[in-house]
Amino acid sequence: MNSPTDETFSSISPAEFFYRNRQMAGFGNPTQAVYSTIRELVENSIDACEQKQIMPKIRVSIHTIDSDELSISVDDNGVGVPTEEIPAAFGRVLYGSKYDARQRRGTFGLGVTMAILYGQITTDTPVLIHSQTENSPGILLSLSIDVENNEPIVLSQESLMRKSTGTCVKLHIRGDLKRSIDRVVEYLSLTTVGTPHACIVLDVDMQESLTWGPYSDECPSPTITCKPHPRSADFEILRRLMDKNPDFTLHQFLVENFQQVGTRTATKFLSFMAFDPSERVSKLSRRAVTKLSRSLQKYDAFSRPDSRCLSVIGKRPMQSAIKSLYDPLLVAYDSRDPSEWNGHPFILEGAIALGSSFPVTSLPTLYRFANRVPLLYDASEDLLTKVLRKTRWTRYGLKSPKSVAIFINLCSTRVPYKAAGKQSIASIPQIEEEIKHLMNSLGRKLNKSLKKTDKIYRDKRRIRMFTKYFEKITSFSADLADYPSVPSVSSMIDELFEVDTDV
Amino acid sequence: MSESSKENSLEKLRALGARLIESICDGKFPSIQIPDRSTANIHFDSELNHFTLGDGFVIRDSSNIKHIRSFAQLVWVASFAKNLLQSGRTSSLRDLYYSAEAFDIDFKNQAESDRIVTDLECAIGLAREEFAIYSEEHSSIFGEVTMEYTAPGYEGRQLDLTVSPDGLPIGPAIMTAEPLHTDANRILAVESGGIFSRLIESHAWRRFGSILVHLGGQPPRSTRKLLRKLTESLDIPLYIFTDGDPWGMHIAQVIISGSANAAHIPHLTVPSAEWIGITPQDIVDYKLPSETLKGVDLKRLDELSNDVRYTSTFWQDHIREFKEVRKKAEQQAFSRYGIDFVVDTYLPDKLSLC
Repeated sequence: MNSPTDETFSSISPAEFFYRNRQMAGFGNPTQAVYSTIRELVENSIDACEQKQIMPKIRVSIHTIDSDELSISVDDNGVGVPTEEIPAAFGRVLYGSKYDARQRRGTFGLGVTMAILYGQITTDTPVLIHSQTENSPGILLSLSIDVENNEPIVLSQESLMRKSTGTCVKLHIRGDLKRSIDRVVEYLSLTTVGTPHACIVLDVDMQESLTWGPYSDECPSPTITCKPHPRSADFEILRRLMDKNPDFTLHQFLVENFQQVGTRTATKFLSFMAFDPSERVSKLSRRAVTKLSRSLQKYDAFSRPDSRCLSVIGKRPMQSAIKSLYDPLLVAYDSRDPSEWNGHPFILEGAIALGSSFPVTSLPTLYRFANRVPLLYDASEDLLTKVLRKTRWTRYGLKSPKSVAIFINLCSTRVPYKAAGKQSIASIPQIEEEIKHLMNSLGRKLNKSLKKTDKIYRDKRRIRMFTKYFEKITSFSADLADYPSVPSVSSMIDELFEVDTDV
Repeated sequence: MSESSKENSLEKLRALGARLIESICDGKFPSIQIPDRSTANIHFDSELNHFTLGDGFVIRDSSNIKHIRSFAQLVWVASFAKNLLQSGRTSSLRDLYYSAEAFDIDFKNQAESDRIVTDLECAIGLAREEFAIYSEEHSSIFGEVTMEYTAPGYEGRQLDLTVSPDGLPIGPAIMTAEPLHTDANRILAVESGGIFSRLIESHAWRRFGSILVHLGGQPPRSTRKLLRKLTESLDIPLYIFTDGDPWGMHIAQVIISGSANAAHIPHLTVPSAEWIGITPQDIVDYKLPSETLKGVDLKRLDELSNDVRYTSTFWQDHIREFKEVRKKAEQQAFSRYGIDFVVDTYLPDKLSLC
């Protein structure tokens, strides 16, 4: 069959593909582009601090160049990027150090390069990268991307020392600052809820700068890189791992490459699924690999995936961040035990807070986080929103609208985003179930606290009322009896209510 | 109010205050015992023919948060009363209700402050008139009797109660005045103001030798107290003339046997008083213009027939007759036969029988 379109088939580079579909990655319009650029750079900066347990200090600067052109720079105190890696790390799409099973903010090696690509195309300006690591001295690079070939082009390069290790990325983009600034501020402040030990400073056009954090001095311990769980092994993963170890027997291959698979489990699995354990993996046919992948995904006798590769915000840091940012009357935290979806471990944690900083609504105001990163767009399509609406908040003291907010963080080695823009979480039954339990337990905590604060308030009022009347009894009695003075009764009242509270 | 009764009242109030303040000085939360006024503790003494309180009492405890507010209100009323007595002033119940605000004592409504006043009456065993608190409504009195005032500024002054053809309001001053002597040989208490005026204008009071009292519906306690005082100290009988319906009959009954509400106050009743009409038989005999008894009237008759105060055949007969004639008539109904018919014919008929 010969259709006229046949001739236009040709491969395009990933860079070109993503530029053509930039709305998928969050660069659809000048407003969203400002937010996405800052977000990608800040996420990278925090990740660059995490592995070395550096307390992140990040400075975001935005300068208006022209009515619709902005200069954005993000400077961090992270580990820096080795000189030889800089061109590829920033100038090639789908290149990165993040293709392993541990919790990361970014995943695809796509975000920062998208921002650079977007800036290059809309303003025809190269990106400036200034980085320094412990081993490579400071270097300032000017870089652009060859879109067609997905290749970085280094335009200039000079030695320039930094005060410490870290990276500063500065680029020009077409953007609408007026319409995006609120989102940027919201994003950065929420980022310090997800990463309470970070300090973030925002400068806009040389005006007074805003500072958030740090709200916690606990630096989370670095996450452990884990082997993939067998249930997460799709065809592509198996093929890649087999190419690396062609001489392994099937049994050896499973034991060496996957977590929760020891010799006994491997033997049991292979005999149960009728595979020959001594067959070399290089000898396996395509069909056999497909069958292996399906069998691994179906087999439910593997233990749960290791959750040590996950890093939750934690009770104290999260509460302290919310307290500092919103000054709530009360805040309660809870987290769920580790769980898994398709072999990917995940943990849900959240906090619920009551205070006048939040809007008064019948449903709690939802703040969503995935791997500590705040999600600001596409809330209506998000699984968290869906569960929030299904939860019966009236049971938890929200019979009338109140200023309550709920913060939920989903940690996973694989967050099921709906699109590459990474703004909403897709519906996964296992995750939905856990969200439901978390929201219910936060609801119960809210209800309990509400009742407690109500009671404290009521008790205080009762004591005040009692004191007023008892003082009156005393003064009127003194008057009646022509007593020269009115005795003090405060110690009597204190004693009375102390006894009351002890009972 | 006489000096001695005033001193007596002040002493009781002071004693109450002393007991409370001494307890507080000892670091103890004081409590007050108040005779229980609930129906379970109210008994009808058929020998004395009035209600009395039993031995039950309630305790107001100032360490109990549920009692503290009414406790404070009670002590305030006591101190308010003490100051009234000391400065020779009086206050109406309504005045007291409003005065509370100045002392940052709150009453939900006057019903609440009235109840607290009653609590104090019970707690110290005095009628509120004895601590200078009166009700707002006034009955009137007219007749040949000389009273001597004890009210401040009027002490020792004597007054003949015929001084005004409108009659004199029975306020705190007359309430506390002492009857000296009278030429009258009976007291006639009438329900409506119209008949009261008629009796004065037509000089019927002189013809009947009567002191006249206008009750104006169910009379205030001060009026009942004055009636008792007059009958006792002048030794003359009391006749009560009301509308011919169950309500009028009950006005007379309360004067005679008292009410459960005032069971804690002694010396309010006039057991020897007589109800002269309008009886149901009068409605028939005088062919009075009348109305048919309504549902509420009949219901009231049923209640009264079971009331301890109505057990005598005298009262049971009247109740039965009301039910038979099923009619009621107002005092003014006699005007059908001319405005003086009531004084020229009806009352002489009735009083000559007595």
